[in-house]
Amino acid sequence: MITQMQVKGLMFDPYNNAYIVILRDEDQSEMLPIWVGKSEASSISLALESVAPPRPMTHDFMKEYLNAANAKVISVVITDLNENTYYAKIHLTYEDSEYTVDSRPSDAIALALRSQAPIFANESVIRKQISEELDQWLENLKPEDFGKLDS
Amino acid sequence: MQQQTSNTTESLLELTVDRVVEDPNTDTWILVLSRTDGRTELLTIWIGAAEGESIRRALDTLVTPRPMSHDLIKSFGEHFGVKTEQVVLTNVKSSTYFATVYLESNGVARAIDARPSDAIALALRCRAPIYVTQDVWDRRGGQNLNAWLSKLAPKNIGTQEV
Repeated sequence: MITQMQVKGLMFDPYNNAYIVILRDEDQSEMLPIWVGKSEASSISLALESVAPPRPMTHDFMKEYLNAANAKVISVVITDLNENTYYAKIHLTYEDSEYTVDSRPSDAIALALRSQAPIFANESVIRKQISEELDQWLENLKPEDFGKLDS
Repeated sequence: MQQQTSNTTESLLELTVDRVVEDPNTDTWILVLSRTDGRTELLTIWIGAAEGESIRRALDTLVTPRPMSHDLIKSFGEHFGVKTEQVVLTNVKSSTYFATVYLESNGVARAIDARPSDAIALALRCRAPIYVTQDVWDRRGGQNLNAWLSKLAPKNIGTQEV
């Protein structure tokens, strides 16, 4: 089973000096945080705010590469969580055939947002995440930890 | 997106990546390109940290556990049979360099506007040649930087995290 997720925002994780993309399902009952690198967070932030930078950033270039090839992103799926590393799959069409390409969730999300493609997560990933003391971690976060993303 | 073909009439000079170094004073990297015809002058371009690290990984043929952004673009090409033919540095305006990536998709040539860092990070992974137009070569800046680079102590080079 897969669940469609929306990107709810980005936050800074001061304990790991990293950024977190927050995904939520449609009825807001499930949450999936994904730790990403600084440049990927910046790229996702630009897409969320619909900011067009003066020069194409890496994921804009990725999108243009796919446009040039007449390939289309259908959807992305966050598929697995293994030792704190997430796996994603990007589903595309090219020349009337479907392709599935392995990627990091950060690239998949950055590309999905630029392609107006839906983002899904495997339910097993959401379950695993909930079992990993996430609630406790979130309780310890202070409000000032939110919104520190420099984009 | 430009629709021109790769048959440009302008004369092109082939480049190779000499090295990529972290600017110790800022969060940027410096991409140093040299000519393949043996000329000693260099072309230097400031690029972002993530792109600099990506080019460094390509030069070191370092394989990460998970595909990084430029590996993913290469992977798209491999899945579709789209070939990255060449990369050309086509313009420089106010110290900003512009690149064009030429693809071949199902027999059709395509050109994509890109930053030199993304273009070269992809070219290195796809073993595609890198060119600069004679005009951009003639208008390149950074001649003082070359002197600075040659004075950089070896210990400052290659100590950055990959």
